[in-house]
Amino acid sequence: MKQEGKKANSKKDDYFQIEKPYTLSQAIVEADRCLLCYDPLCSQGCPAEVEPGRFIKKLRLRNLKGAFKVIKDNNILGGICGLVCPVDKLCEEKCLASGIDRVINIGKLQRFLVEYGWDIGFNPITKEKDKNVNVAVIGSGPAGLTCAAELAKKGYNVTIFEKNEKLGGILRYGIPPFKLNDDFLDREIEDVLNLGVKVKTNYEFKDKGSIENLLKDSFKAIFVSTGLTNAYRLKIPGSDSKDVFTYQDFLWQINSDKVEEIADKIKNKNVAIIGGGSVAMDVATTCKLLNANNVYCISLESMEDLPADKADLHKAIDHYVIIKPQSQIKEITTKDGKVIGVKGNEVKLLKKGDFSPSNIKEILNSEFSFNVDFVIFAIGSGVDPKIKELLPSVTFDDKGYIKVDKESLETSVKGIFAGGEVVSGPSLAVNAVRDGKRGAKSIINYLNK
Amino acid sequence: MKDLSITVCGVKFPNPFLLSSSVVSNTAEMVARAFDAGFGGVSFKGIGGPSVEIINPAPRMHSYNLGSKKLVGLQNVEQTTDRPLEDNIQDVKWLKKHYPNNPVMVNIMGFNKEEWKYLAQVFEDAGADMLELNFSCPHMSVEGSGMKVGQAFKLVGDFTDIVKRNVKIPVFAKLTSNVTDITEPAMYAKEAGADGITAVNTVRAITNIDINNFVPCPNIFGKGALSGYSGPGIKPISLKCIVELAKKEELGLPLAGCGGIETWVDVVEFLLGGASLVQMTTSIVKYGHRLAEDLVEGLSFYMEDKGFNKVEDIVGKALPNFYETKDFDLSRQGAAQFDLDRCIGCGVCYIACQDAGGQCIEWDSKKRRPIPDEEKCYSCMICSFVCPIDNPPLITFKEIKGKKIYTPPPSKL
Repeated sequence: MKQEGKKANSKKDDYFQIEKPYTLSQAIVEADRCLLCYDPLCSQGCPAEVEPGRFIKKLRLRNLKGAFKVIKDNNILGGICGLVCPVDKLCEEKCLASGIDRVINIGKLQRFLVEYGWDIGFNPITKEKDKNVNVAVIGSGPAGLTCAAELAKKGYNVTIFEKNEKLGGILRYGIPPFKLNDDFLDREIEDVLNLGVKVKTNYEFKDKGSIENLLKDSFKAIFVSTGLTNAYRLKIPGSDSKDVFTYQDFLWQINSDKVEEIADKIKNKNVAIIGGGSVAMDVATTCKLLNANNVYCISLESMEDLPADKADLHKAIDHYVIIKPQSQIKEITTKDGKVIGVKGNEVKLLKKGDFSPSNIKEILNSEFSFNVDFVIFAIGSGVDPKIKELLPSVTFDDKGYIKVDKESLETSVKGIFAGGEVVSGPSLAVNAVRDGKRGAKSIINYLNK
Repeated sequence: MKDLSITVCGVKFPNPFLLSSSVVSNTAEMVARAFDAGFGGVSFKGIGGPSVEIINPAPRMHSYNLGSKKLVGLQNVEQTTDRPLEDNIQDVKWLKKHYPNNPVMVNIMGFNKEEWKYLAQVFEDAGADMLELNFSCPHMSVEGSGMKVGQAFKLVGDFTDIVKRNVKIPVFAKLTSNVTDITEPAMYAKEAGADGITAVNTVRAITNIDINNFVPCPNIFGKGALSGYSGPGIKPISLKCIVELAKKEELGLPLAGCGGIETWVDVVEFLLGGASLVQMTTSIVKYGHRLAEDLVEGLSFYMEDKGFNKVEDIVGKALPNFYETKDFDLSRQGAAQFDLDRCIGCGVCYIACQDAGGQCIEWDSKKRRPIPDEEKCYSCMICSFVCPIDNPPLITFKEIKGKKIYTPPPSKL
């Protein structure tokens, strides 16, 4: 599996490299700065309860295997979270070392320890005796993988159904390769598969009720974690031209083997990205790494209110992405079916975060236009509407998300649980991990009733 | 810039900073560069008697690290020099020719009586300003040499006597800390005529044992040995030896301090403790000769700040403040004081006090602040040692008039 991944990555590696990891000595220097707080706030800041305070103390006391075990026991995807978590909003946000000089680089330490554990070939995960009870997990994003691993640890017979060719969901197809690459992802997914989790890839549920019907088959419980696969486009003139993509289309192609094709297309061309979140910034940076010429990030929010994580925003700016805040796109101009530009005007949001037309005040004489060759929408995504047909008995809320009990993540149908973005809407990988853990726990409770 | 010169046994040093007898003083060329960088003098790398050919083990050193701090100490199994005697004689001559103002002390180690006499005479003839008799190397492969001499006090006297009878230049005896009381061999040296004492050579130690192959470090092809340990890790021990020697009134000899000196602050401490000269190796391993300019400037600024005009005036200045523990005034007590406005809420003071102190700190988990109980505090001050807030420290000791010592009640059966 790893070998294949390497081959496929070779072209991608020309454009994208993930951050260099710490060496052991560097990790020790960083751990030495940790205050080793009593009742550490960093540990309270992790939705997946990875307990940074504990694993850093272990690293400090040279118990590296123990540190690795804490991470992996708490979060089977601990390495990935170390790479992709917006730590400045989570564990590192309350790090008290900031009162001395600067916060501890927790994410990087976490990633170091996971790779260290892999490199020494240490397997800290134990598996209980086989229970001969089948559970189905639908979708293999962070929620699905975590739920599958947690159940498998307890001896359940888990099958993951994944509609794509490879496992990982948003981790594989929704995160730019300069943040997380296939090698790393494959290595961590291997930890899940090593627990004996069965996998059905390229598996698409089509018939009405076909997911629900698994319960009539041999499966005693189902965890639905299909994520958000329906990326939004603005309905404006030109938005259905062939040079207009959603961020999902774009990242999908980058992350599959089509990177060379995209690179040829985009080189020295101008790109407008619509959106001001982390995904928009990631896509913008990706375009720049593919040698695009001018890359604009156009968003309704003001610079101060950009929803993007600071690290992602800074990365984009470091790559000379042009941020155009407080602006709305009204038209994508085309010539002979090809995109030639975007037109818009500056705006003010009367109320923060409210994008309804009545809240957007246009600023007079602020019209602008950019010559661009491609437009990429990064304005969020929703639940695939088809999922309702596959789960006809399950209740959905008015935004199209699956309704669940907040604590147990059980849906309106007994035996069917759901978690991740299909429940929460746009969220973080680490929250999906939390859901996966919670879902597994509830499924075990349910099966033992 | 203050005049940092100091005259010891009639020999004038431009400043009290010397290279100690070790890898850093192995050749005239190295020493010359150290002088150029600002070192005042040298104790030239130990020269053994010509009767034994020296081959040094490989590898010969090992770094002792603490957390992310490297070279907290240095362990070595190096012997006396492996260079031919003639080369060393020529190097000393060359140094005296080109650096007449930088005193050269030559560290020698005879392997029998005749060799002590021979080496002393040869290097006096070569122009050495002083001799340093090596009674202290803790890992000599030659039977009856180094530390073995320093531990057999009579031999210290005998060999000092031979040297003193045959040369006119001042003679320092370099002693080992690996004895019960370092002043005893020092008195033997004095009675045999020694003009000064160098304290101390490396401490016999073992820094690490490789937990995978069970071999002590440094690993010399599967073998290790208890051997010499130097650097900041031994400073408290070497400073103690200087203070003990300086406080020994019958001794009354000038002292060269050696063992873990890195900064001008260390130097000042050794001077305050009674040393007139200081010698360094591990700090040069770590920083190179460039540390000399900071020693020179640091000591000079310190003397300006404190109004000292001569280095001599600092020497021994702290000695009157050294007492026996029985002399302490136990009627005066105090407690730790917390400047909580600057507290960042890490709680390590609470952990330390609960698990290793007097359980006199409670924890306010909502505010994340310690709640100290002054009455219960017995001022061990470990809370202040773990507190990350320094300069000025958040937790300080304060005397509390009339405070009674609190002792914990017995456990209820």
